[in-house]
Amino acid sequence: MSKKAYHKNSRILLTGLFFIWLILFEFVIPGNGFLPKPSIVFLSFGSLIKDYHLWRNFGVTVSEIYFALIISYFVDWLLCKYITGNEWFFSALDAFYKLFKFLPAVILGMFLILWFPNSNFNGVIFSLLIFIIPMAVKVKEESYKVKPEYIDAATSLGAGKNELSKNVIWKAVQPSLLNYIFELHYLAWLLLIVFEFMKGGYGLGSIYRDALRYKDLSALFSISIITGITIFAGFYLLKYFKNKFIHWSNF
Amino acid sequence: MSGMNALLEIKNLSKLFHGPAGSRIHVLDGINFTIDSAGNDDRLTSVLSPAGAGKTTLLKIISALEKPSSGEVILKEKKYLQPDGSIVYIPENASSFPWMSVNENIEFALNLKKISKEEVKKRKDEVISLVGLSGYGNHYPHEKSSGFRFRISLARALAIQPEVILLDDCFKNLHSETKKELHDLIKSIKQQLNVSFILATSNISEAIDLSGNILLLKKNPGKIFRQINVIEFNKNHQGEDKNVSLKSEIEKSFEHADERMNIF
Repeated sequence: MSKKAYHKNSRILLTGLFFIWLILFEFVIPGNGFLPKPSIVFLSFGSLIKDYHLWRNFGVTVSEIYFALIISYFVDWLLCKYITGNEWFFSALDAFYKLFKFLPAVILGMFLILWFPNSNFNGVIFSLLIFIIPMAVKVKEESYKVKPEYIDAATSLGAGKNELSKNVIWKAVQPSLLNYIFELHYLAWLLLIVFEFMKGGYGLGSIYRDALRYKDLSALFSISIITGITIFAGFYLLKYFKNKFIHWSNF
Repeated sequence: MSGMNALLEIKNLSKLFHGPAGSRIHVLDGINFTIDSAGNDDRLTSVLSPAGAGKTTLLKIISALEKPSSGEVILKEKKYLQPDGSIVYIPENASSFPWMSVNENIEFALNLKKISKEEVKKRKDEVISLVGLSGYGNHYPHEKSSGFRFRISLARALAIQPEVILLDDCFKNLHSETKKELHDLIKSIKQQLNVSFILATSNISEAIDLSGNILLLKKNPGKIFRQINVIEFNKNHQGEDKNVSLKSEIEKSFEHADERMNIF
């Protein structure tokens, strides 16, 4: 099956499921403990805005994730020379990365909540850690795959380590790095929502926490729809940036 | 031939690689040759050898990308120890950066030289026109052919006005028509600019067509066993077809050196 046909089929399936939910839960089994009535979900958006402070919490989570993503990208660009050229610097990053490869990152989130219980910035710090170190490790891994011809040509022209890292290695690794950011983007959403859920206070995770506490099935359902649409939009925005600015293929 | 006229002197260059289990691979052994600044080699010297004789290693050592096990490279009476753009290496597969347009590739090289914006623009326009890329300044290397990519690499090298440009079997995988065009381009640049080339090649006809001086390199270990000045050879063989007589002379030399050449 071609990729196009596969996408078309999944769209048809999703639309079908939507209509099944609409008919089944609106008219056939409206009172059940599994899924809410579509009309109640529609009305619950109003309640989300009013009672759950949707816009404020949505703004907090979205800004934490995309601010952390942009800052991490910029910091890794700045540090590319050290990530790719200084073994001690990279070893320290790698050790930290390996620690959280086998230790769930939410545990780090718990520590952050305990260390800074009243801080508004621990969500940003947590998001930064999700992006910055894995991205640095990816840059290092991919730097080994850069065509030696590029390095040789630039070096013989007189390029130093700085020019090499910024104009050759950093650029050459972009297609792979961006593909990796797509994966991290989803992971960051997952982890940040869990983090906010644990912490309470602000963010989409806190809406899930409150909705669960009040056993508000329709709010839980509608916030899930909003989260899914936002992650989907973020993913396509990143994909748009990749197609627009990273026009060369991998190595 | 060393002394005042020498542009580039290669003295006793050897290279040993350390293999697994303490084995040692002798890639180059006692390489000596000189390129003079008067252009007696018609500004292009070829290093001709079968594949795997150490041509790439030799060029990388000359351009200071690799260190020799012994020996030295002397450019204008000074040891050439760090790459600074005086000797530019163009690898076998065209190395123009796909993330930069033609203009940006050339500007990258020029910006390394810390020159004024006006000078950057002037030199960029000159080399773009010289290598036949006028009108393609905003194009990207991967949008075009290998020949196009080579022109970018060449323009980038010429822009910083090096003393020597090293061509590492750059024409090997090109279509014959493109190869001919690029050979003509190199000949034209040799006449117009004060730059010398060293071409590493396995192709006898290419070496004869382009160079004024041919160094024959045998393998295991790589060693120059004969040097042929094409201009003098032609003087001594007037009336003969140089492609036939010189080619047969080179083939005989390799046979005597127990080597087999791939003649393309």
